[in-house]
Amino acid sequence: MNPNLIPAVDPAGVPGPLWLFHVLLVLTFFLHLLFMNLSLGGAILAAVGHYRSGGRRDDFRAVLASRLVGVNSYGISLTITTGVAPLLFIQVLYQQYFYAATILIAPVWFGMLVLLIVGYYAAYFHKFRSAPDRRNSGGVWLIVSAVMFFLIAMIHVAVNLIHAQPEKWASLADGSWFVLADPTYWPRLLHFGFAGIGFSALVATWWSVRRASDGDDVETNTAIARWTWRWVLWTTALQVVDGFVLLMVLPRPVLLGMMRGGAATLVPLTLAIVLGIGLLMMLARVTNPVENPGLVTGTLAAMTLTIAIMTITRHQVRAIYLEPSTAQFQIGVVSQWGNFVLFAVLLVAGLATVGFMVRRVLTSPASGVDAA
Amino acid sequence: MDYPIWELAMGGGMLMAIVAIPHVIVSHFAIGGGLLIVVSETLAVRRNDPELRELARRSSLVLILVSTVFGAISGVGIWVVAGLVSPAAISSLIHTYVWGWAMEWVFFVLEIVAALVYYSTWDKISKAAHLLVGWLYFVGAYMSLVIINGIITFMLTPGRWLETHAFWDGFFNPTYWPALLLRTGIVILMATVVMVFPALKTKDSHRAGVLRYLGWWLVVGVLLSYSGYRWWETALPETVQYLFAGASPALVALSATRSFALWSLTLALVIGVVILIASPRWARGATAVLLALSAFAFFGGYERLREGTRKPFLVHSHLFSNGVLVSDIQSINEQGILARSGWAAMGPDDPVDVGRRVFRTVCSSCHTIDGYQSIRRALPTFDDMVAVVSESSSGAGELVYRSECGACHTEISHPEMMEMLPTVEEMHDDPEMIHDLIQGMIYAAVVQLAEMGEAYRVAPRGQMIDTAEMNSPYMPPFVGTDEELEALVEFLVALVHDTTVRPAEMGGEG
Repeated sequence: MNPNLIPAVDPAGVPGPLWLFHVLLVLTFFLHLLFMNLSLGGAILAAVGHYRSGGRRDDFRAVLASRLVGVNSYGISLTITTGVAPLLFIQVLYQQYFYAATILIAPVWFGMLVLLIVGYYAAYFHKFRSAPDRRNSGGVWLIVSAVMFFLIAMIHVAVNLIHAQPEKWASLADGSWFVLADPTYWPRLLHFGFAGIGFSALVATWWSVRRASDGDDVETNTAIARWTWRWVLWTTALQVVDGFVLLMVLPRPVLLGMMRGGAATLVPLTLAIVLGIGLLMMLARVTNPVENPGLVTGTLAAMTLTIAIMTITRHQVRAIYLEPSTAQFQIGVVSQWGNFVLFAVLLVAGLATVGFMVRRVLTSPASGVDAA
Repeated sequence: MDYPIWELAMGGGMLMAIVAIPHVIVSHFAIGGGLLIVVSETLAVRRNDPELRELARRSSLVLILVSTVFGAISGVGIWVVAGLVSPAAISSLIHTYVWGWAMEWVFFVLEIVAALVYYSTWDKISKAAHLLVGWLYFVGAYMSLVIINGIITFMLTPGRWLETHAFWDGFFNPTYWPALLLRTGIVILMATVVMVFPALKTKDSHRAGVLRYLGWWLVVGVLLSYSGYRWWETALPETVQYLFAGASPALVALSATRSFALWSLTLALVIGVVILIASPRWARGATAVLLALSAFAFFGGYERLREGTRKPFLVHSHLFSNGVLVSDIQSINEQGILARSGWAAMGPDDPVDVGRRVFRTVCSSCHTIDGYQSIRRALPTFDDMVAVVSESSSGAGELVYRSECGACHTEISHPEMMEMLPTVEEMHDDPEMIHDLIQGMIYAAVVQLAEMGEAYRVAPRGQMIDTAEMNSPYMPPFVGTDEELEALVEFLVALVHDTTVRPAEMGGEG
């Protein structure tokens, strides 16, 4: 490795203890992942559902596709919004690596913005322009949206791998496509893809089960719940297999680093594996989720917890990858506690305001002249 | 300077402009739109005015489609582009103001959630609840401006921060309040000119009233913008004002930009008063386009002026636009660029190649080889020299002299230069002599830039540096060792003589 290729740490120093930024990065990335899973997986499932419905408007898969697109038109916004914070904090902690990685694939990284705009507007096009009366109308927009989001996932995985391996920068400078040959690239990408489909399918199941339990179009909602539940089952099974593959193809020093990290690394990793297998068992027990609403809610909670724990493990893997490099640098800390407290107060107040607003909206339904 | 370089034919600055200009227009519309839409809805509820309500409703669709999608993505895009073309600079800003960005993010979350809820709950919730959501949207959006304005103005007038490096000293800097007033006017202006388009679809019986209503908003926006702009100008340090204001501005192009911006604002006011208020029946799509263009021109002109007066800095008197800190000039001059950057060091020792890497590291944030701010076009050529000394009754030689040489030779007239230069015949007889002459001119220019570095180095710390006293007040100084300076000259000379010299895409090998 040519250590001189790694840029210097920012002389301004970090305005708070490093642990605080690590916590904020993991926390906000977890939030981002939830919405990202819905956007990516929802777009893929909607496209599949739309085409499997055969263009029949009343087919339960067409109804599902329509619901998922409806959620996505808001979910994508929230994916971007929640993505801003981890983008901010990674620039504080890993600016040397992150900027260098993005510059090494600059046209592709910039192209992500174009893909995002196309993917987002494609979802809106489907929502506003697709006349469901016509067979398969608007399906192309769903495919465009799903493909764009999958390409964006590919770019993010590439940046992640490049920024974590500065020893490969010199060779990547001559051809950044080599990152696709990294043994962990495809298992990582599939890990995100399966998680996205599985999580969005589970949210769709949970929603349909709730509506069926309320007596709302029981037949359609039951069919949706059964269909999406099977998607959750199979993607989770594949996810568990892929997770072990990913673990095995990690560079040996990284794998050893995980094993030697003690409770700090082994507890989250073990928990994630146990939760993954546990999820599989919960999913396999039920064929008609409408009959087990409690189990569906429990499965959703367990999957959310798994994502949270995997976010921690992912962050630790990055730290181990980078350990030989980060050990060379001393990051200065110039704490701004007052500003952090102000941020924390604003965050709590902001979330409370959002909660208050949503509650007010949910409790103020109106129609006719009373409605806005 | 120790990051890899993304060499872009159009130039990083141009790419940033392509992303940032639509973003600032859309983001300011998103704020002002929030205000106008919710005020319109409030008035519609009180007056039971269905047309005003329809205006709010139609505009909220524009708001959601343009602001929450394009605005949000292009906002992230600014960070993406900044990280690609000026990583050290954006890193410095983020490390200094991370808590400011974080606070802005909180309001951004509120803004986006409220926008989505507001748009999706028309006809579904009570009027009072809907208005509440609308007002929360505006509060979130405006508060993000309140915060981002502190960081943007800090970059031009860091004020006491230069001395204390304290967050709030930089945030509430000398141009904070004027710029906030100015941008408050701009957000109303942007919202008004955009909302004229949905207003044109109002029923004929109510169209005049709705347009007149928007016309008064436009007047308010123009007055606030103008007051804020004038206040902003007076709040600038004299050394910055000198660059574009007064009888003899140092940068004529910026002075022209100022006039352009203010005349555009005047035009917007005239159109607003004549078309929207006095004779709304004349309002058509074309007049709405003209109104929007004049408002955008004012806003664009102001942003160009703000960016231009900040040159050659990203953070005035602290960080140059190429990512070099003022405080690092001496150490870079001693150690050298190649010693500081592994990326610049990668490659053969051939002086032209070393010069190419030096150019990429310290010059390419502003200059491209043949694209935007082309360095090749800025260099003197054999043909330029011949053109300058050619006898022509049309005065072509003088024109070439003014355009190609005037920037450096400010105190030498064209006839005096003709006296000093060889004749056309002599040039053709001995082209090597001209080659040496061009090399000497380039060398002198780069040495002058290096000497400017010394002036920056010894300038008093803790206060705004007077760039007007520099030879090239809009350019960062040359930093690096003497060998690197000579290598840069070799590369630039090679550019003049060999049009096939091209930058490498990435890394060391070209």
